Amino acid sequence: MEFWYMYMPIAGVDIFWPGLVLIGFSVGVIGGFFGMGGAWMVTPGLNILGFPMAFAIGSDIAHIAGKSMVSTFRHSKFGNVDYKLGLIMIIGTVIGIECGAQIVMWLERIGRVGPVVRWVYVVVLALIALMVFADYRKAMKKKKAGVVDEHGAVGFTWYKTLHSIKIPPMMHFKVAGIYCSMWLPIFVSFLTGVLAGFLGIGGGLLRMPALVYLVGCPTHIAVGTDLFEVMISGLYGTFTYGVKGRIEIWAVFVMLCGAAIGAQIGTVATKYAKGYGIRIAFGLAVFACMISVILKQFKIDAAATVVILGAVGAICVYICGIMFKGAAEELRAKKGNERLTA
Amino acid sequence: MRRIMTLLVIFITAVAVFIPDLAVAAGGKAEMLIVVADKRMVEWSVSRWWVDLYNRDPFMFGLWCTIFTGLLGVTLGFITDQIMKMTGLDLTSRKIVEH
Amino acid sequence: MRFKILASVATAMLILAFAAPASAAEVAQGKCLAFEAGKSVSIDEYDTSISKENKYGKTTGKKLTFDISEALVGITPAPGDILRIAYDQKGDQLKALRVMNVTKQDLMTK
Repeated sequence: MEFWYMYMPIAGVDIFWPGLVLIGFSVGVIGGFFGMGGAWMVTPGLNILGFPMAFAIGSDIAHIAGKSMVSTFRHSKFGNVDYKLGLIMIIGTVIGIECGAQIVMWLERIGRVGPVVRWVYVVVLALIALMVFADYRKAMKKKKAGVVDEHGAVGFTWYKTLHSIKIPPMMHFKVAGIYCSMWLPIFVSFLTGVLAGFLGIGGGLLRMPALVYLVGCPTHIAVGTDLFEVMISGLYGTFTYGVKGRIEIWAVFVMLCGAAIGAQIGTVATKYAKGYGIRIAFGLAVFACMISVILKQFKIDAAATVVILGAVGAICVYICGIMFKGAAEELRAKKGNERLTA
Repeated sequence: MRRIMTLLVIFITAVAVFIPDLAVAAGGKAEMLIVVADKRMVEWSVSRWWVDLYNRDPFMFGLWCTIFTGLLGVTLGFITDQIMKMTGLDLTSRKIVEH
Repeated sequence: MRFKILASVATAMLILAFAAPASAAEVAQGKCLAFEAGKSVSIDEYDTSISKENKYGKTTGKKLTFDISEALVGITPAPGDILRIAYDQKGDQLKALRVMNVTKQDLMTK
């Protein structure tokens, strides 16, 4: 029995380490496949495995920092980043993260951090699941109506209104092609920063749409700038949670190793994935994660562990299946071609 | 977009529900929490050094956390990249999934 | 350009990190016997033989007194609480760095 548990010296708890590997791996696979972080399952997952809530948040944010470094250095660039916008947003992000972390520490002192963070997570996860299902429904409707692949933000011009609020200093962001008050991006990044620092997530979930709809970034610039901000927020979050003593680095390492392998599989799998079935699976995984958080809140620990590990494990197996089947076919076809040309 | 707004409103309402609860809780005692990592339970020298750092200097601990995760991220990115190259799969024609 | 910025930030952090080597701080755990705020705390030291019956270890029978004038003290200890203390030994004197109240600070319930 002892073999399956790893002692975490700082949190002072014994942790079922295969659970850590599975969570790390799943985050990698799911993140790589859907192009969005899977950090939403790490904080609840760590908490359910036995970490105190503040440690779960700190370790999650550190693992995001590591993962964002993996992707940054692999692609050796962020893509299209408006660096001026990115740098301005750092101000808001850093202050926001610090506020989020301070709220967590305050809640910990008054002894409420567990329940509060768990309920906020339930709401956030419910929102994600809803969005995924709504997306699916819309896609299905379009398919029936015969509309093919429509992408990007159409028709919403709230940012025009926001751009007309001219609080000095006004700034021109050339790459993104926008002219607005400096306070607009700072405000947006502050809000996402608070959420990221509070929940231990990257914040892309909120930052991406905010950049597009509120700041008025073109989608491709928003993607790159968001990646840049995730890295900054991850690194600063790691630092501040480290100083507050709420990071268990061994858990982060174990998860990161799983995530690095998982991310490759997830990324490759996107090449071979067809249809929308996988989105339903994703939505269900988010939903299962939400259920397990509720179970944990009511102290039904064993069931919570089984539900979360089972759900993320199942979606992992699903994606890995897509990847191995597709990759095997591609390699076979390649060999066949070589034989033909030879 | 209206849907997202509705969701946002639900979210804010839900958060607001917690606030009175928190205000009550804040009235209670709020003493500083200090964690001391139990070095006596750790044998491996690297782990002992790490625990020492934690107990002695929080600032340095935070700094090292950042450095380690950053370095590990870079290393893992490099290694997995090499491995993927070795498999011979064509990754350049991948469709980017944006969310 | 971007690489240069990243490289210089990384170098600066590494230099800073190596600048202050951490010397070893010892850790002791035991039952609080007496506590005087800002001055001293004394404990009955426990060993590491942790079992279901002895969640915090067994007593070694040794009484240790720590100077806490410069220490960070968590939840105020009361006699009978289990404390975990990180300290420096300077000659005969034990100078506490951090005092954790293990009994009253169960983070899992927070």
